[in-house]
Amino acid sequence: MLSLITRRLMTAIPTLLVIILASFFLMRLAPGGPFDGERPLDPATQAALQQAYGLDRPLWEQAWLYISRLVQGDFGPSLVYRDFSVSELIAQGLPISLTLGGLAIMLALIIGVTAGLFAAVRAGKAADKMIMMLATVATALPTFVTGPALALCFGLWLGLLPVSGTGEGGAWLIMPVVALALPVSGAIAKLTRAGLASVLKQDHIRTARARGLSETKILFKHGLRPALVPVASYLGPAAAGLLTGAVVVETVFGLPGLGRYFVQGALNRDYPLVLGVVTLYAALIILFNLFADLVYGWLDPRMREG
Amino acid sequence: MSLYEIRNMAVDIAGNRLVEEVSLTVEAGRCTAIIGASGSGKSLTCLTPFGLTPGSASGSMLLDGVDLVGADAGQLRDARRRLTGFIFQQPLTALTPHLTVGAQLQEATMQAGSARPSRLELVQKLERVGLSRPDERLDQFPHRLSGGERQRVMIAAAIAHDPKLLIADEPTSALDASLRTEIMDLLDELRAEQGLGMLLVSHDLASVEGHADQLVVMDKGRVVETGPVGDVIANPAEDYTRKLITATPRLNEPSPKLVELGDVLLETGDVAVEFQRPGWRRGTISAVVDASIMVRQGEALALVGGSGSGKSTLGRAIAGIGPVTRGGVLWQGSALPERRARSLEMRRLIQPVFQDPVASLDPQWQVRDIVTEPLRNLRPDLTRAEREDLARRALSNVDLAEDFLTRMPTSLSGGQAQRVAIARAIIAAPQLLVLDEATSALDPLVGAEILMLLARLQAENGLSLLFITHDIAAARRLCHRIAVMDEGRIVETGAMQAVIDDPRHPATQRLVAAS
Amino acid sequence: MLKRHFPLILVLLIVMLALVLPFLLPWTYDQIDWDAVRAPAFNGSHIFGTDEIGRDRLARLAAGTQVTLMVAIAAALVSLIVGIAWGATAGWVGGRVDEAMMRIVDGLYALPFMFIVILLMVVFGRSILLVFVGIGLVEWLTMARVVRGQVMALKQRPFILAAEAAGTPSMVIMLRHILPNIAGVALAYLMLTVPQVVMVESFLSFLGLGVQEPLTSLGILVKEGADDMDMAPLGLLLPGGLLVLILVCLTIEGERLRDRFS
Repeated sequence: MLSLITRRLMTAIPTLLVIILASFFLMRLAPGGPFDGERPLDPATQAALQQAYGLDRPLWEQAWLYISRLVQGDFGPSLVYRDFSVSELIAQGLPISLTLGGLAIMLALIIGVTAGLFAAVRAGKAADKMIMMLATVATALPTFVTGPALALCFGLWLGLLPVSGTGEGGAWLIMPVVALALPVSGAIAKLTRAGLASVLKQDHIRTARARGLSETKILFKHGLRPALVPVASYLGPAAAGLLTGAVVVETVFGLPGLGRYFVQGALNRDYPLVLGVVTLYAALIILFNLFADLVYGWLDPRMREG
Repeated sequence: MSLYEIRNMAVDIAGNRLVEEVSLTVEAGRCTAIIGASGSGKSLTCLTPFGLTPGSASGSMLLDGVDLVGADAGQLRDARRRLTGFIFQQPLTALTPHLTVGAQLQEATMQAGSARPSRLELVQKLERVGLSRPDERLDQFPHRLSGGERQRVMIAAAIAHDPKLLIADEPTSALDASLRTEIMDLLDELRAEQGLGMLLVSHDLASVEGHADQLVVMDKGRVVETGPVGDVIANPAEDYTRKLITATPRLNEPSPKLVELGDVLLETGDVAVEFQRPGWRRGTISAVVDASIMVRQGEALALVGGSGSGKSTLGRAIAGIGPVTRGGVLWQGSALPERRARSLEMRRLIQPVFQDPVASLDPQWQVRDIVTEPLRNLRPDLTRAEREDLARRALSNVDLAEDFLTRMPTSLSGGQAQRVAIARAIIAAPQLLVLDEATSALDPLVGAEILMLLARLQAENGLSLLFITHDIAAARRLCHRIAVMDEGRIVETGAMQAVIDDPRHPATQRLVAAS
Repeated sequence: MLKRHFPLILVLLIVMLALVLPFLLPWTYDQIDWDAVRAPAFNGSHIFGTDEIGRDRLARLAAGTQVTLMVAIAAALVSLIVGIAWGATAGWVGGRVDEAMMRIVDGLYALPFMFIVILLMVVFGRSILLVFVGIGLVEWLTMARVVRGQVMALKQRPFILAAEAAGTPSMVIMLRHILPNIAGVALAYLMLTVPQVVMVESFLSFLGLGVQEPLTSLGILVKEGADDMDMAPLGLLLPGGLLVLILVCLTIEGERLRDRFS
């Protein structure tokens, strides 16, 4: 088990490095820079700015400099938000994005697994078909449609929830989290249902049944854990999906999270900001995949040796 | 009064009557065996009364004074908990993967309401079924155990709560031949020791002889014949039973008449096959180690071994459809190159037939295209009409009518599919057939027919056969000589009867004992 | 048949309407009706009214659906071709080559891919061609995995070995034995890729990084609607609803197809 973790970490670091370098060079290859405004700056100012941000040095040197600073937690200065360093922007945005994402995945797991279990127990009945229909619809609900639609309905029409900003209490979280969690919960419900349906047909369930155990005990003691294996392997992609969705939700609900900085940075060619966010996202996703691997091993001991 | 008595039982699934008019009894301390081909309803008969199939049973079923007819799900569950223990065919999948052996054995012990067993008690239960290092096993997950070990755990769990009736549904069919006798002997011992009644289900008549007291022969959902095992086998009353008995190969049946032999056709010189370890790990796994065998013109050679002995890998290397790491294959004295390096003319000489007849045929192709596939590559000189003509002849050679040409593989039975596969193998007039467990997946009657077909093709066309199998008794019906493989090596070769009479190597002894 | 495949029929109906409507309507999608800015629904010739600068909603919906579905089909085909080529090669060759090729797929799977696509859009400009090449290149991963799994399983099947023994060349085995047997599954996943791509394209367009004005797509329409939803909810609800409807129908049909073949 421990060796699995160390091995995964060993591959995670080079992966991260490749992502950072690839994004770094990709951004520098782009035509146009952060100081190409509406009106061209005079060459002297341009050169001074370039020098101040180290943009006049050879690419490799810039990359090396960037990574060596990164190791010390310094993501460099933001080129657009001139008064802030990227580290400060991240420190500001990360808690919001993590809260959104964390709550959304928990909500999605609770709704999804419960709905999937319920449907599997009633396999073939009307309730099963109904739940699976709803799950399919939920997976097809893009955050950029549900986000504004929720805001329109509960914010503007009913006036129940705040439409924009963080505000007092937790009410501001409700709509963004729901919009994020909906498609993921639909997918988890479908995976749970399908996983249980196939596990309940397996031989070891018949063995348990032959022992005269109650159906509930069979379901929870012998059936549920192997049935959740597909859910666990979906957690990685789900996390990536949530981060992507967070970009939209933060834009729609005007939340100062990482996603919004990323879009702003991308549109304004703020290299250090975009690089910083991509690096962080990659690290988060890799970390989450590692977590999913651990869950995997718990669900099915055969995976622990993998 | 009998321990378990079924009278006039019928089983329906979704309105279809699949089993009817079944009557049988099991006495305490005795074993009743149900024998039948797949689809004969034998498993339905033994599992449905306890609510373990989607079907429903009607008639009269009495177990130890408990009436199973009209019992609701709760009452059936109660009967399973207290009175019965079950062993199923697939030990690999019958245990819950995420629970340790100890946890599952404990659950089984407590199923009838006993107190939580101590660790020592659990260890003793594993010891009783002959599992080595029982203390260590308790904390292991099932995937760490081999198939035979898992079946022992299944047995320990099935009797952990002192049931009255043990129901064993093909308990040894998924195991290696040499393990089967051990497991059956263990079941016999436990039965005698605890006064257990046992209902045993098998497709293989030979495997229940010497273990069962009563025999129930089933076919197409009905009982064909019932009686004491010895009586039924010595003196079968029904035609079906008689066919089944003749179809079952036995080591003590009279030797078959075999064809005369010609010169040496094929020889392998120290063939070795190694596979890379999966993943990026270094090193290799040796599947075949320096194997040398020889086949004469017109000869049938049995290549016998347990699963994992490397017999299939060697067969594939010879047929040119598997890798060879070292050594070579000689055809009438000249070397046959490896795999794709073989010329079309060389490929024509050796053709394979596989175990799973359904997977042997491309589900998307018509039988016509399947059978003529070798001709299209190996005989480019033929016209379409000539190919068609040869296809008809090949089909009639394997006793299939002409209208099979337009059938799709999914519409064929196992036996028909295997005949099509043989027709494909012989259409380009090869000299050697490599038969990889070609009869093992078939029902006994069908398997025996295929054996007869092979013997006829051999006699008529002077074909040589390499008959790869785990079943010495089946091989004896067809083969002149035998080569035994164990852990990748050829450990014994010789004339068929001589090796059976006096097996030298332990692996051979196990295989002979199991037949 | 008609009732069973209702979702598919609905999508086909939407496609037909999207193709035909532009010829029937008196307005084009970018034409401004100065006399009817922010017209409500059923206002004269504007069935669903007009948007905040007086463009006919229905015409824009038809045009947006056309673009969205075109991008989706093109990108799904890119993913199909790349996925089959990659997956079939890895599965057929096997061994270390397979190991390396699938490691790459796993690695790419773990990436925050949407962000890389966004980077690409930013770096290489926002052309519609790049949108679907970019998306297609993301979506091929699943297809490659599925195809590779199928090929690996098929390769072990005796009929492939029998074909080899019959002297059938590798290329012919691939074309006549393997591909026909994976066609069903590939088709099912193609069908499931289309809604995925619709989702990604709309997402990019919503952020202003996908399809660019004057062209329009469902994502752009949702964005425009969201910006103006307090004044005209119809502007959000119509394209949003249509998008969800298309996604749901395609997903249902795709899953049905997948369940049939696996």
